[in-house]
Amino acid sequence: MTFNDYPPPEHILGDLGMEAELTTETTAKVRTRVTPFVTTADGGVRSGVLATLVDIVGGAIAARVLRPDWMATADMALQLVGPVHGPWVEARGTVARRGRTTLVIEALVVCVDEDGADTLVDGRPADPVAWASMTFSVLPAQNPSSSVQTAGELPVRWAFEGGGLDRPILEVLPVEVLDAAAGRLSVGVRPYLYNSFRAVQGGVIALLAEAAGAEALGAAHGLDGASFVITDLQIAYLALGRVGPVVTTVRVLGSGPDGRAGAVVELRDSGADDRLMTVVNVSGAPAAVLAGAAT
Amino acid sequence: MTAGTTEEPTDGKVHPPVDAPIDHRRHVSDYFRLERWELPSDGGDDRPASLGGRAPIDGHQRGPGGGLRTGGLLTNLDSLGGFASGLAALPRWIVTTSLLATVSELDHVGPLRFRADVLRLGRSSVVTALDVVDEGADDRHVAAATMTCAILDPGAMVLDFERPFSLAMPPPQPDPSPPEEFFCIEPGEGPVTRLLLEDRLRNPWGILHGGAVAMLADEAACRAAVAHSPAALGPNGVAAADAVLHYLRPVKVGPVEARCRVLGTRAGRTTVRIEIHDVGSDDRTVTLGSVTVLAV
Repeated sequence: MTFNDYPPPEHILGDLGMEAELTTETTAKVRTRVTPFVTTADGGVRSGVLATLVDIVGGAIAARVLRPDWMATADMALQLVGPVHGPWVEARGTVARRGRTTLVIEALVVCVDEDGADTLVDGRPADPVAWASMTFSVLPAQNPSSSVQTAGELPVRWAFEGGGLDRPILEVLPVEVLDAAAGRLSVGVRPYLYNSFRAVQGGVIALLAEAAGAEALGAAHGLDGASFVITDLQIAYLALGRVGPVVTTVRVLGSGPDGRAGAVVELRDSGADDRLMTVVNVSGAPAAVLAGAAT
Repeated sequence: MTAGTTEEPTDGKVHPPVDAPIDHRRHVSDYFRLERWELPSDGGDDRPASLGGRAPIDGHQRGPGGGLRTGGLLTNLDSLGGFASGLAALPRWIVTTSLLATVSELDHVGPLRFRADVLRLGRSSVVTALDVVDEGADDRHVAAATMTCAILDPGAMVLDFERPFSLAMPPPQPDPSPPEEFFCIEPGEGPVTRLLLEDRLRNPWGILHGGAVAMLADEAACRAAVAHSPAALGPNGVAAADAVLHYLRPVKVGPVEARCRVLGTRAGRTTVRIEIHDVGSDDRTVTLGSVTVLAV
């Protein structure tokens, strides 16, 4: 499905095979299949992929609730809280507050089966995978008639169709590691990663921040990036990334005795005078610590 | 001097109570003895590039983690970030709409030094980055946060500050009370925790200070985690760390009730979802967020 020609035929949302449904006027759900190409070393789904799910579910709700106005994501927070049982992960979003200038949406990520029912563990629904919240800034409609038409075109159910991932998602973007210890990663800006403003999609920004944080914090613990799992993302979206490449830098914060650690990731548009696009506070732990933990 | 809440849905203006006899603007930040000073702007204009802050950690403010309780840390972040955002927005003023904090160290030596940098000043919002280092531990980074504020018409509020702004560190309190007592948090246990809205907890707008909301979230999340499972407890108990707070509406009446749901416990960290209600205002939801509780 495309929406005013978005996304284009070759697009990350299509390759993630996301399926969306507006369940009421103020709620929606979006799901993606759990595959080895989106998971981390502890068996969970990448926080950046879950942030992409949440971004889509929030955007779907906001588009409906705010019509004829439009919106931009201002901030997002996501925390991994439990293990992934699959076979799908589904973000369920709801409006927490509709203000004059902002809209706050809450989302819970759970595991569901092929039919969309909660995955059962020991006969009861599995615990949540993640909790998230996001703030949208309301953008007054420049041309109310066109945005009314756009909102009205939004169907109740749709799927982003694509060929699917054939390798790990960071290779698909692709992310280039310039300096792992410094968290310097780079990704080019291209239509495959666009949002509806023809800039880098918010979920891709989360993925890049997750990868940069994991590389820098992993290096600080003597590990490679794949062995350190980012469990928490706190994202402040400041400006669009239109030119690229988008380059990250990381400042590592202190670290706890169990290896839990935090960092601040900055993303800049190197082709636009190094403009600061996004600041992301991340925290996480070595995969071995998380994989060995009881739930 | 931050309001710690989001916009009113009616006319977009926040009106301070005309009969408020007390200058509330410093009371909560005075409790944590936050010194503040304006730093010169790199851009050469009269908008603040940043604000510095410094606060000791008095013994009665330390938590089971060994350092300043996260509720106190968040209060200082709210006070400093709110003021930096407000100065950037002059002649209008701000209310905090969200505070996202990553707390990586709980065992601080102190004093803590803070820095607030305005990252973006838009037509309707201000985004500010905050950073905290532990001076007593060789400036080790202990926390980082981002704060988003909505810009509002200040109404009758007097906004007259000498520039560059500075505020000396308040003196120690002669009869210090622990945070739960100062913030009027009722004793208890379990998933619901109450705060009584005493006048001293109101900010200049006459509503509950955002720092008081943060302290309530800290205490409530810790109680909920302990009640949910003994697995949450470490040798010294539990302590709040990362926090996400969305200030949805102002708290005007009270009492204020934090209702918690434990979402999961993993590797010594428990994630608690928090919904805070102003019971006296038709029980409306005023804050939504989450707190990570660590076994310490």
